Amino acid sequence: MTIALHLVAGVEFNTLPQQLVNGVLLGAIYALIALGYTMVYGVLRLINFAHGEVYMLGAYVALFTSYFLGFRPDQYPTGSTVANLLIMLLASMVVCSLVGVAIERFAYRPMRGHSRIASLITAIGVSLLLQYGGALFLPTSPPPSISEKVNPYYGQSKTFALAKPSPALAQEAEKLRPATESAKASYQAWLSTHPDANEFELPADGKALKTTAQDTERKYQDAKHKLDTGGVNLIIQTGQAVMLIATVVLMGILTYLVLFTKAGRAMRAVAHAFDSAALMGVNVNSIVTFTFVLGSALAGAGAMMTATFLGTPLSTFYGLAPGVKAFVAAVLGGIGNIPGAVLGGLLMGLAENTVVWLGYSNYRDAIAFIVLIIVLLFKPGGLMGSSKVEKV
Amino acid sequence: MRVKTMRRIPYLNFSALAALAVLAGCGCGNNAGTTDTGTTGTTTTTGTTAGTTGTTAAKRPMPTAPGNTAGDKIILGMVASLNGDLKPWGEDCKKGGELAMEEFKKANPNGIGGKPVQLVVSDSNSAAEQGKSAAEKLISDGSLAIIGEVASGITAQIANAAFEKGIPVVAVGATRTDLTDIGANVFRVCYTDDFQGPVMAKFAYEELGKKRVGLITDQKQPYSTGLSNSFRDFFVKLGGTVVDEEFYNSKDTQFSGQLTNLKAKQPDVIFMSGYFTETGPLARQAREQGIGKDVELLGGDGWDSSEILTTGGDAILGSFFCNHYNNKETRPEVGAFLNKWKAKYHSEPGTTMGALGYDATMMTLEALKTAASLDSKALRDSIDNVENFPGVSGKITLKGMGGNPHKRALVVKLTKQGQAFAKAYEWEQVIPTSGGPSTTSTTQSQ
Repeated sequence: MTIALHLVAGVEFNTLPQQLVNGVLLGAIYALIALGYTMVYGVLRLINFAHGEVYMLGAYVALFTSYFLGFRPDQYPTGSTVANLLIMLLASMVVCSLVGVAIERFAYRPMRGHSRIASLITAIGVSLLLQYGGALFLPTSPPPSISEKVNPYYGQSKTFALAKPSPALAQEAEKLRPATESAKASYQAWLSTHPDANEFELPADGKALKTTAQDTERKYQDAKHKLDTGGVNLIIQTGQAVMLIATVVLMGILTYLVLFTKAGRAMRAVAHAFDSAALMGVNVNSIVTFTFVLGSALAGAGAMMTATFLGTPLSTFYGLAPGVKAFVAAVLGGIGNIPGAVLGGLLMGLAENTVVWLGYSNYRDAIAFIVLIIVLLFKPGGLMGSSKVEKV
Repeated sequence: MRVKTMRRIPYLNFSALAALAVLAGCGCGNNAGTTDTGTTGTTTTTGTTAGTTGTTAAKRPMPTAPGNTAGDKIILGMVASLNGDLKPWGEDCKKGGELAMEEFKKANPNGIGGKPVQLVVSDSNSAAEQGKSAAEKLISDGSLAIIGEVASGITAQIANAAFEKGIPVVAVGATRTDLTDIGANVFRVCYTDDFQGPVMAKFAYEELGKKRVGLITDQKQPYSTGLSNSFRDFFVKLGGTVVDEEFYNSKDTQFSGQLTNLKAKQPDVIFMSGYFTETGPLARQAREQGIGKDVELLGGDGWDSSEILTTGGDAILGSFFCNHYNNKETRPEVGAFLNKWKAKYHSEPGTTMGALGYDATMMTLEALKTAASLDSKALRDSIDNVENFPGVSGKITLKGMGGNPHKRALVVKLTKQGQAFAKAYEWEQVIPTSGGPSTTSTTQSQ
């Protein structure tokens, strides 16, 4: 009963469109990483636990590239261009591809003839090696982060007014403005006659002026906030829009490569029947390499975008949480199925933001697993996967 | 569009694999988690009621083990995070400790009771378990006391290990309130979370004139949840309202959902009780979401790292947080300390742990000088009797305090140049004490 009341009371319906957009943006990144899991699983029947660490390395490559471009923590050039972002994106994708190929060549290929559990444990081993071994070479303390200055879109956003607030609200805010400005001005005037005063240790007369200024200012700001939230606004941050467009473009390229190229066809053949494809003359090794190149490049792109646009500090555990989430997304969509991974990622992003929207941000991580459990109960193969049981 | 590109043959049991993935994740995460992980059964939830520290004596059992006795020389052990996430804090703590030791040796060339004193520093690698084994090693090597750590989670493990052996612990920067309940051997030289929450609440309400607060809490860190609670309780007591509380987990990267909610509730100030690693991105994303600069961001001492200026960028400038010490304070103790530090290390301390590490070491040494005998038990009693120790970070009185000194706290403002001093609060200015000895509040700055 109380829960239901809270549910209704805590929900702001006019933020729903915004939250759905947030969810799609979050889900797009999950999808990008999930694609790597799903493609490798499709071809090798191997869960590549090191995928999250490839993602982590991609973020570091983006960081070093940004340093190389001059955006070091102690000095920033003024202004940045899209070219910088493209260079960082390319660097991350290329290095991640190489790392992915190296992991496959030196860790997974020698285990290919052995039992599947051996490969799985190797994957976990590689993951741990990169997490802890990486700390020897990569800067982790204090955790570095990519400067927002490298992002030419930083702070830009476009507001779409889906529903306008009532004009009365605007008038109300406007009515409060003169009083606010005069109170502020008299406080400023007092401050200019007392240049040594510490703003937070004022004598009584200054303090009174400050309090008046703050009180009128607060009323004015409250009215302005009411005006802001009176309508339904959709704020699209340019950076996030760019992220989404880039993700869609990358997924388009992937679809083209998988569906319309010779290598893509060979990849599908290997996924369909590994041994038969080899017998039919498909160079299985190069196809597996191709798969790792694609998956790792996508992870690199995702890492570059999150690290640059969201500003998260990097550590060698940077890929852990996104890796687990993306893996869940892949399983949710049906692991091995490419559109499934995208669907799973989007579904998870939306589910997480819906929970947050309902006022239960403390269950944000739990919802991913709740959705997973529910889906697996009814469709053990995932949403778009087949539920055929494998013969061992 | 459903593209049938790949046939997939599901693995036998996906749920089991998913579980495996999660387990693998958790296993790694625990080692990465630096603070407040793995505390003991005796420590329950973080206390939220302010000003109860004087009456917790019943919860502080006296260790029964005899402890160590000084041999040819007197060894004091320090555990510091010289590697890992807390490295900037740990390094400053070590530097502060060594500076204090050097100064003490100069002033007391014959040592204490004719025996030379030695400070041995050991690395905890920012991990609770490694901190515990480092402390155990120091104790078995004959250390009379353990100084450290900078974070509560590691300190809790050290305190447990030291309790069994009867060794006193002087925590440097561990602010979690219930930490000193572990035993009567645990002390600290910093304030507790149920002080810094009220300090920030008072500052927001009275100095910034804010009445509607939004909270953002890192639910994975007991430090953060405890701090949010103590802030909320005091802010409400002052007459303010809490419009919304949103949660995230350490290492989360995307906060747009929480921030959208928060913005809709129209707070006029936001309290972010987590660590600087998530606060920076939170600030960036908050500003991008259109939460304007008139809504100040506030935080606790978890923000104390110069790195917050890189992670937060321009978005974090103009925010306030609570700290133990500030290089720009004009008290004479600070000036003297800075001169000594600069002479030895040719730079200024980057974090507040330099001053706290110095205070913890100096206080322990001074207590050792007045101890009845040169063993752990006498040292513990002597530390428990410290009164008005003139620390760099403020006066420290431990007598009758149950290990928690009523320290002063500073509010600092983040500027492009670093932390600027805003206001100092003595304990009594925020929480009127009824019991316990009152420290004189003569220290005032500017």
